[in-house]
Amino acid sequence: MSKVYYDHLIVLDDIENKIKDIAETREEREELWQLVDDIIHRRVLACVLDNLPKGNHEEFLGMFHEAPHSLSLMDYLKERIKDNIEELIKQEIGGLATELLEELQAKE
Amino acid sequence: MGKPASKKTKKKISSEDLRQKLKLKHLETKRKFSEKYPDVEKFFEDKGIKLEDVRKHSAKIIGAGAITGTLLLNPSGDPQILPTPNEVIEKLKDQGKVEGVDTPQKLLVDTLDSVLPKEVQSLTRAEEKFLEQLFQNILGVNTRATLEGEHLNTTFGRIGAEQHLRRYPGDVLLNHGSGDVLTEGIAPGLGAWGYFAPTKAAFTPDLEETERWYAVVQTLYLPDWNTRQPYLRDWYKHRKVLIVNTDNGNAVIAAIADSGPAAWTGKHYGGSPEVMDYLGGPRYKKGPVILFFVDDPENNVPLGPVEYNKLNLPAGSLHEI
Repeated sequence: MSKVYYDHLIVLDDIENKIKDIAETREEREELWQLVDDIIHRRVLACVLDNLPKGNHEEFLGMFHEAPHSLSLMDYLKERIKDNIEELIKQEIGGLATELLEELQAKE
Repeated sequence: MGKPASKKTKKKISSEDLRQKLKLKHLETKRKFSEKYPDVEKFFEDKGIKLEDVRKHSAKIIGAGAITGTLLLNPSGDPQILPTPNEVIEKLKDQGKVEGVDTPQKLLVDTLDSVLPKEVQSLTRAEEKFLEQLFQNILGVNTRATLEGEHLNTTFGRIGAEQHLRRYPGDVLLNHGSGDVLTEGIAPGLGAWGYFAPTKAAFTPDLEETERWYAVVQTLYLPDWNTRQPYLRDWYKHRKVLIVNTDNGNAVIAAIADSGPAAWTGKHYGGSPEVMDYLGGPRYKKGPVILFFVDDPENNVPLGPVEYNKLNLPAGSLHEI
């Protein structure tokens, strides 16, 4: 499965629909999806590293590289981050969704 | 006479504007990330991957893991590492979960419930082999998770509702039937393989069936999608797949006619309005399914619902247990 460990926290159907409505070709649509995907990766990784103690960063990145899909990554984070990391990621992506939808609003 | 009130109308953002805006957002995100965590991109570069390619990297790892896991568990390559479908049914009967001779559909649902992980995820090759046997025995459909060496990134995932596709230039929604199947509308763009026919005159009943029963799969995330063109593009075009709703056992044969959905939607496949209606009813928008290729070199298997409760199952199959 083409999957990363936080996929289950991210549902951006509205953004997908918006892109599908506007993109004119398959290539264009997939390019735009990939841009959004990359934005998500960086925003989530920044959110994780902002909250994970610095001493754990290298270990976490190594684990992420070894198995980006593994749900044990979330367990690792839960053990080391005081706040609810799943909620923090959801909030981060919720904020991103709002930003993206504002960007994609129709012009008056 | 006063001036007529100016009427503000919302104009749809153009495709080029959208691209520019997303690119700017992407660059801004990359810049902020690099400034804050300059060592992270270098960490991944040293490992030989780019952060933006993490999905393809993940797909390679999972694919390799599934094969290695199967070999480790089962060095002979014999797919019988899991109990056979018949053995599973026997066990379910012993546990009182299946009573007497049930309908094939109930047997299928109970068996899937007993062998599948609770959450959608990659299946091992042994699990996939088991399901191939199960579908052959109960549905009477010859399927393969891996066909001619091709395998999707996942065979157990979530399907979501798609819109109708334009089949030829000038095609409109009202040409696609009536009632509930029109509710989803028609996609503004074309499917991944363009029009089904170059003109209305060239549009055949077979192509009409292909659009009616179409499926969407994430070819764009295949690790080798970009490096094995045009072969893969041709191989996947209108490739038949069996889709089984694991919650209720409804099954349909569909043809792949578009790529998607995006990975960040929580979905792994898409289905035409007719596919979704058959799998789960008019309000079914998303749910777990198994999706396997149909092994049909002679093109004998029709698209559409698999009405297996009406089948006379062959001797030795689950019907006789």
